[in-house]
Amino acid sequence: MIPDYLERLACELSFDQSLARNVRQEVEDHLWEAVAADPTGNMLAAQRRAIANFGDARAIAAQFAVISLARRSRRAGAAAVLVIAGVFIAMKARIAWNAAAQLAIGEDMRAVSGLVIQIDRYAFWLAVIIGLGGWAYIVSRRITAGFYPAYRRQLRRFFGLCCAATAALIVSVISDGVLTALLLRGTELSAGFLVPVFSMSIEIACVGILVFYIRGIRLRTASTAALLNT
Amino acid sequence: MLKGHLDMIVLAALSAAGPAHGYAVIEEIKRRSGGAFDLPEGTIYPALHRLELAGLLKSSWMTADSGRRRRVYTLTRTGSRALIERRAVWKQFSDAIGGLLGGTRPRENPA
Repeated sequence: MIPDYLERLACELSFDQSLARNVRQEVEDHLWEAVAADPTGNMLAAQRRAIANFGDARAIAAQFAVISLARRSRRAGAAAVLVIAGVFIAMKARIAWNAAAQLAIGEDMRAVSGLVIQIDRYAFWLAVIIGLGGWAYIVSRRITAGFYPAYRRQLRRFFGLCCAATAALIVSVISDGVLTALLLRGTELSAGFLVPVFSMSIEIACVGILVFYIRGIRLRTASTAALLNT
Repeated sequence: MLKGHLDMIVLAALSAAGPAHGYAVIEEIKRRSGGAFDLPEGTIYPALHRLELAGLLKSSWMTADSGRRRRVYTLTRTGSRALIERRAVWKQFSDAIGGLLGGTRPRENPA
């Protein structure tokens, strides 16, 4: 009886495997301890009572889902800050390398590159401001016991901030890509190419990580809402 | 009403019992409240996880005598501070309600 209940609970929490595993172990310990403390000595009745006292698996899973969503959102906020820092480091490393290798954009493309640099700069700093703002916003919110409308509004705001920061970062990375392409245009292929290409790969991977986290929030929100609605 | 104060109740139980696992926290709540709080036991666990995420508790896994894995919660310094604050707010509220219902005057707030 207890293994069935634990299976049901873990199944309801399947959207977060690590949480499902931990909760299962924790609840298993609780239920067997409750059975051991039962004064009747009737094993089956004691199990039934322990489960009844514990509550409906789906209702408990729904409460855990809200916490899982809060944890995921906070991680996404921290990831946004780290990803932006990663892009910044990759960008600075490439600029330093370009200077050391004396790579420069040709005269014919100076006007275009000037415009792209401006776009890059503004987009990047916009991503920094929004990303930091989003992170500060989500960590300063209280984690509620339920998926209340006010909490949903907070999550929507945070989600919007994350999307805006990611969009700005994508513009910045595309600009970096254009600048790198302009820089390497007409240059002979050599091992020195690897550094700018590698740093661009890091920037793209960073954006990919952020998109992955944002998608995770979206999926977790849907799982939580589904658990609460049915 | 209990739902709104669940966090404070859990913090108080852990403060009284010291490091404890979920079952022990529930037993402590029952014991100290004289069995007055009859809530589904399962609701304590999300509260423990939420308080841990908020930094008010920390947890560690250990192996119980039964051989099962057990998660033990401990109040953090932030948690202790939060409990002191919540106790003060509750005392103020309780005095005010006591004054209204019992006809006694609430004590003056020193602040």
